[in-house]
Amino acid sequence: MMDPVLEFKSVSRSYGSNVVLNGIDIAIHPGEVAGLIGRNGAGKTTLLKIGMGMLYPHSGSVRTFGMSPTDEPVAVKKRIGYVAEDQVLPTGSSIADLIEFHRYLFPQWDGALERQLIERFALDARRKIKDLSKGQAREVALLCAVCHRPELLILDEPAGGLDPATRREFLETSIHLLNQEGTAILFSSHHMGDVERIGGRVILLDHGKVLLDRDLTTLREEICVAMIPRSASVPEAARMEQIPGCLRVRPVFDDWHVVMEGSPESVQRKVSMALGVDDVRCVPMPLEELFIELTGSER
Amino acid sequence: MNLIVNPADELPLFRQVVRQMIEAIAGGRLKSGEQLPSHRDLSEQLVIAPLTVKRAYDELESLGYIETQRGRGTFVCAVLPAVNRKNQREEIARTARRLLSEAYLAGLRLPDVVKILEDADRQLREKK
Repeated sequence: MMDPVLEFKSVSRSYGSNVVLNGIDIAIHPGEVAGLIGRNGAGKTTLLKIGMGMLYPHSGSVRTFGMSPTDEPVAVKKRIGYVAEDQVLPTGSSIADLIEFHRYLFPQWDGALERQLIERFALDARRKIKDLSKGQAREVALLCAVCHRPELLILDEPAGGLDPATRREFLETSIHLLNQEGTAILFSSHHMGDVERIGGRVILLDHGKVLLDRDLTTLREEICVAMIPRSASVPEAARMEQIPGCLRVRPVFDDWHVVMEGSPESVQRKVSMALGVDDVRCVPMPLEELFIELTGSER
Repeated sequence: MNLIVNPADELPLFRQVVRQMIEAIAGGRLKSGEQLPSHRDLSEQLVIAPLTVKRAYDELESLGYIETQRGRGTFVCAVLPAVNRKNQREEIARTARRLLSEAYLAGLRLPDVVKILEDADRQLREKK
């Protein structure tokens, strides 16, 4: 396999006594698209900023194109595109000014791609940033992040606060870029449908750790949720957690919800045998439901 | 080809593409020898990752519905695979269970359902 474009090795980071990342191991390979998901405060933004060299890890190491992004920031940033969650663009400048500035920063700037995106987004380059809608401002930020043809694109919540139609356009553009340029993309998102559409791989962060990291195309056939009534005959959570392949157990009203590795048929057999309970119902879950099963609170 | 995918559906995206393509082939909307869009084109049409389209095409190819001709593209096979009878039986058994539970809920009994099926069978034959 080719060398990873981005690699986190046992990365940890705290803010004061609050441990945000606790031993993260992730490698992103060329051309790969990975969706980073997790609840608010799970550490997504911190992780992306460490990848960009905007924050130091407190322990562990990060390599971007094999280099340390804090030791060699210029060499790394030439090959990376980044759109922050709260991307602040200079409000007083026009789109054209901003593009001019980026073209000056990046000698390998692709003017043809720039014109193509201006047309695709139907942007008027003379307009001032402060007069743009939220969606248009995100599109300008994306344009500025991709026209130097980065090998790795890091997007923090790229579609945050956008309406569904604008989000879909944003996705279309990302897929177009992916097809055209083969750029590796690491993006965080709360929109599970979007993650399923463009991600090849999903990484779920929870309480500073990687709770799940796998191929999205087969995820739904490899993980399912078993629902077991919380009647007296059913054992306590600890016994269910010991079943091999168990990822999470939580009580939901009158049932236990147990997230398990395996197809519904195999999990059904495994759980019934392990617990001696007949009344087990196993169902595959879309990513959104799986996210809630894995990170949701007890009910 | 009129494909539509939905991330909230129970099936993974690539299986949705596989299923709908098989339906299109079975229904005659996609004909033997017809060329399919490239991974890239279909991924942009459906707004899904090109890798997902590739996975769907790989699956369709291994099932014998489509073939890739190097340098020319992907085509619906001239000779289509015989229907998988075992899978179909299971599918029909599932439909039967659904039908029966609805019938029982509506207060019907098995002989009533059999009667309804016989009537439906007669109607189908008359149409032919």
